[in-house]
Amino acid sequence: MSKKRTGVFVCHCGTNIAATVDVAKVAKEMAGEDTVAFTKEYVYMCSEPGQESVVQAIKDNKLDSVVVTCCSPNLHEKTFRDNATRAGINNFTCEIANIREQCSWVHNDKAKGTEKAIKISRSVVRRVNRNQPLDAIAVNVTRRAMVIGGGVAGIQAALDIANAGVEVVLVEKQATIGGRMLQLSETFPTLDCSQCVLSPKMVEVKRHPKIKLMTYSEVQELTGSVGNFQVKALKKPTFVDPDKCKLCDECTAVCPVVVPNEYELNLTARRAIYIPYAQAIPASFTLDESVCLGLNPIVCGKCKDVCEADAINYDMRPETVTEDVGAIVVATGFDLYGQENMGELGGGKIEDVLDGLQFERLCSASGATKGHILRPSDHTEPKNVVFIQCVGSRDPAKHCAYCSKICCMYTAKHAQLYKHHVPDGRAYVFYIDIRSGGKGYEEFVQRTMEDNDTLYLRGRVSRLYRHNGKVRVLGTDTLSGQNVEIDADMVVLALAMVPSKGTTEIAKVLKIGRDKDGFLAEAHPKLKPVESVTAGIYLAGAAQAPKDIPETVAQAGAAAAKVIALLSQATLSRPPLIARVRRSHCTGCGMCVDACPFIAIRLENGKAVVNEALCEGCGSCSATCLRAAIDVKNVTQLQIYEMIEACLAV
Amino acid sequence: MINVQDIRDTARDLLAKGEVRAVIGYRRGSRGMLAEPAFITSPEQADELVWDPTCFHNLSLYLVHDRKFLDHIRKNPGAPVAIIAKGCDARSIVVLLQEHYFKREDVYIIGVSCEGTGVLDERKLAPHLNGAQASNAAFDGDDFVFTTAEGEKRLQAREVMADRCLECRIPFPKEHNAVFGEDKAGRQMEAPFAALTRFEEQGSGERWDFWSHHFDRCIRCFACRSVCPMCYCDECVVDSITFPVTTETTAEDKANRVRWIERSAVRSENITYLMTRAMHLAGRCTDCGECERACPVNVPIRLLNNKMEREAREQFGFEPGASIGGPSLVASFLDSDPGDFIR
Ligand SMILES: Cc1cc2nc3c(=O)[nH]c(=O)nc-3n(C[C@H](O)[C@H](O)[C@H](O)COP(=O)(O)OP(=O)(O)OC[C@H]3O[C@@H](n4cnc5c(N)ncnc54)[C@H](O)[C@@H]3O)c2cc1C
Ligand code: SF4
Ligand code: SF4
Ligand code: SF4
Ligand code: SF4
Ligand code: SF4
Repeated sequence: MSKKRTGVFVCHCGTNIAATVDVAKVAKEMAGEDTVAFTKEYVYMCSEPGQESVVQAIKDNKLDSVVVTCCSPNLHEKTFRDNATRAGINNFTCEIANIREQCSWVHNDKAKGTEKAIKISRSVVRRVNRNQPLDAIAVNVTRRAMVIGGGVAGIQAALDIANAGVEVVLVEKQATIGGRMLQLSETFPTLDCSQCVLSPKMVEVKRHPKIKLMTYSEVQELTGSVGNFQVKALKKPTFVDPDKCKLCDECTAVCPVVVPNEYELNLTARRAIYIPYAQAIPASFTLDESVCLGLNPIVCGKCKDVCEADAINYDMRPETVTEDVGAIVVATGFDLYGQENMGELGGGKIEDVLDGLQFERLCSASGATKGHILRPSDHTEPKNVVFIQCVGSRDPAKHCAYCSKICCMYTAKHAQLYKHHVPDGRAYVFYIDIRSGGKGYEEFVQRTMEDNDTLYLRGRVSRLYRHNGKVRVLGTDTLSGQNVEIDADMVVLALAMVPSKGTTEIAKVLKIGRDKDGFLAEAHPKLKPVESVTAGIYLAGAAQAPKDIPETVAQAGAAAAKVIALLSQATLSRPPLIARVRRSHCTGCGMCVDACPFIAIRLENGKAVVNEALCEGCGSCSATCLRAAIDVKNVTQLQIYEMIEACLAV
Repeated sequence: MINVQDIRDTARDLLAKGEVRAVIGYRRGSRGMLAEPAFITSPEQADELVWDPTCFHNLSLYLVHDRKFLDHIRKNPGAPVAIIAKGCDARSIVVLLQEHYFKREDVYIIGVSCEGTGVLDERKLAPHLNGAQASNAAFDGDDFVFTTAEGEKRLQAREVMADRCLECRIPFPKEHNAVFGEDKAGRQMEAPFAALTRFEEQGSGERWDFWSHHFDRCIRCFACRSVCPMCYCDECVVDSITFPVTTETTAEDKANRVRWIERSAVRSENITYLMTRAMHLAGRCTDCGECERACPVNVPIRLLNNKMEREAREQFGFEPGASIGGPSLVASFLDSDPGDFIR
């Protein structure tokens, strides 16, 4: 092997690096390395002239490899590899040494910072010395997408993608699409009817020639990678043929089973055969197998007997389908933090203490009370209602550390809706502070306070209990410093938004990361807010973080745009930085097979074999293998060893 | 209590019927009281088998050797090898099966329960015999009975048992084809990891002094690795002289060899060796104690392996060798594993 001719380009990053690292010294030290043929420092290497100088230097000095010591490879690895290509050398001989995030930003002492920057740079120079020129792997793209979750986020993403001419499979777990938004009555800040806005979109989904709708279905397994995923989904039997069902409602009249109606948040009951809402899409009844007496004419069979359309079929079986798609949008939404977790507020056991979604159902014309606000215990109109904000939110010690972002707004909305329904009623709101950033939001809250005569009390509620047919609320008003005691007819808790159960499940199936609170993790908090950490999988809606409908829709549109851009390419190029097995060292123990998050390894004749189309080069296998029998190209054991050596050398 | 004749009968029978091609067990050694590994290939030899408190070897090592070195000379490659295995040994076999080292049908496990006792720690025995030599050792209920020139010496087993046996949680081979002796799970005489816990009560300075002393003394004879059934790698990453060159070895493989440690047996290199080995045994070591027994200079290797074992148990609820199809420690993830540091 002839000696490498490496060029080292040291960036000041303005003062970001230069303030803590003596860049000239780093460049000088690197010039002393055996394989380094050229060094240069510059104030902004990533600027146009900076990049040009890299290209020029490669050409002028016949460099065969490049080290740019600058910021994170996340930001500029691609930039400088592209420059290498432009200069006519293999782009995988270019590596980044991160002396910003990993050095200047985390240190103050310039002398020590410089020393560390030199070590980091030197280790990357040594690594590059053994880098192989590699060619990107081209793969074909499946021009189809999947959207998981049929809330407003999923609906919007599916429509946007389908309208660009790309076929979409929309997978929804429940019997209808619509998600939480379908449960809301009216929406802030305009108080337009939630279902009126959403229903047309739902119908559009149903009718769209490019959308394949799979409700009552769950994703079970994901294989493949960006551009070519295979998704296995289970279609649960509904036992009702949606094409035949006439929505006559005869079946529910005869069904003897009565269970709480989860779509109405258990405020009412439903039968074993039911339709979630009148607006449900698909517009059909569903038979809930888990509570039906037996799917069997001998045991019951009443619904089948009464169905004149002959839509009911007890012989339906679960069906597994595999869909090939090039990209995936995950929009699996949120749940409310359970009341049972709020021991200090009765733990869900006190009558007439409701959560926000239940209150929405009380206000909704399609809800149990047909839009009359009646308290559940005795169906009377509550004359005073206490709304409590931040329940379970902003409480790192006991509950969720984060702010759920939308509760201030929907509580203001609830107070207004209540006053509209019960003009002579009294509404109290306990709050910590009001967060109403957003177009028209502050004005909306002001209206609640002024026009709707709602009493906002700043402070926490310490206890709730039943007292003389009312709910006694003990709290403090921190502004006046007084204890407050209210005997309320009804209490509404603005519970924290948490990732839905389905979100937790899907993260596991898709192997996409979650953040500390369990929401789906975006690839970069600022620059990649709709990308998951896995290429080709995008995020939308409340599954990623608490957000309201406008934000949800905006994010869904952004995710759709990413999908459309991705799928508009004929082929994708995959980085060739993939795992390679040293066959003479592999004992076939299979640990790497288990460790690989991308199911890219299998055992064949007692040795590990890597599927190049699936390997993402994550290195999990290499870290797992006891025998160092599997390495990722250009990050081999020997390279790592020499990098460590370079760092330890004094 | 186990009647050794039953073991012999089983071995004889298996060989006579051709159901196994060999039985790996223990026989009386050529030197004094100690048993030694025996490889029985004909029914007539079955009576040589013994079962006593000196049967400490983890014979599963020979299953590894069998596959590694003897594959080509097998007369009857179809038939399995039978092996006598204590609880810890059987768990080693399970780990090997988990790692696909051989197939379940390649081995016939004759399990022996450690019942109320365990095996002897020779180092503990000497002070009790006042210089006398024992010529035989036998189980008797909760006691070990030793034959010496001065007559019989009966000792409570717990006084001279190996530490790991005192702490053993599962003194019974759950995975077996045939098994002798009662399952006395829960008979543990000391809390699990008792020796480790005692050791860790010291301050970090004392512990460092302790280990420096031992790391200085290791002569890197690799006996601990050679005797360990889990250390079956063709090349040990911390010992580049074992680099295997096969028809599948590429020029790139050769060029990329790494010498992680130097050959001289000095503290820094010994630390790297013993620590790496401990890491490699996490979730795989079944505490058979052979490494520590084999060490010619008494390096307390068990403390290192035990530390990893306890960590795996406490952090991940992991028991090495619990089930053949079960997950391996380092390659499996649970939803409940701490993961917030990954983004
Ligand atoms: C009480 C309350 C009042 C609100 N009021 C307003 C308001 O007035 N204005 C406003 O802008 N916002 C309001 N919001 C916020 C609004 O509800 C959310 O922004 C919006 O519903 C988020 O939509 P989404 O599609 O992300 O999630 P969701 O609506 O939760 O939809 C997620 C969908 O995914 C499905 N799903 C889950 N897991 C899976 C899986 N594994 N596989 C397949 N499908 C799955 C679910 O069944 C569901 O259909 C309110 C929220 C609450 C709690
Ligand atoms: S972990 Fe290592 S030894 Fe085991 S199968 Fe994978 S590459 Fe081979
Ligand atoms: S580097 Fe290894 S673990 Fe990672 S995707 Fe490739 S084969 Fe799988
Ligand atoms: S610890 Fe003991 S057995 Fe192991 S290499 Fe060192 S001296 Fe040899
Ligand atoms: S120490 Fe590790 S690499 Fe070496 S033989 Fe043991 S398990 Fe294999
Ligand atoms: S490390 Fe020691 S105790 Fe553990 S299995 Fe190997 S030889 Fe037995």
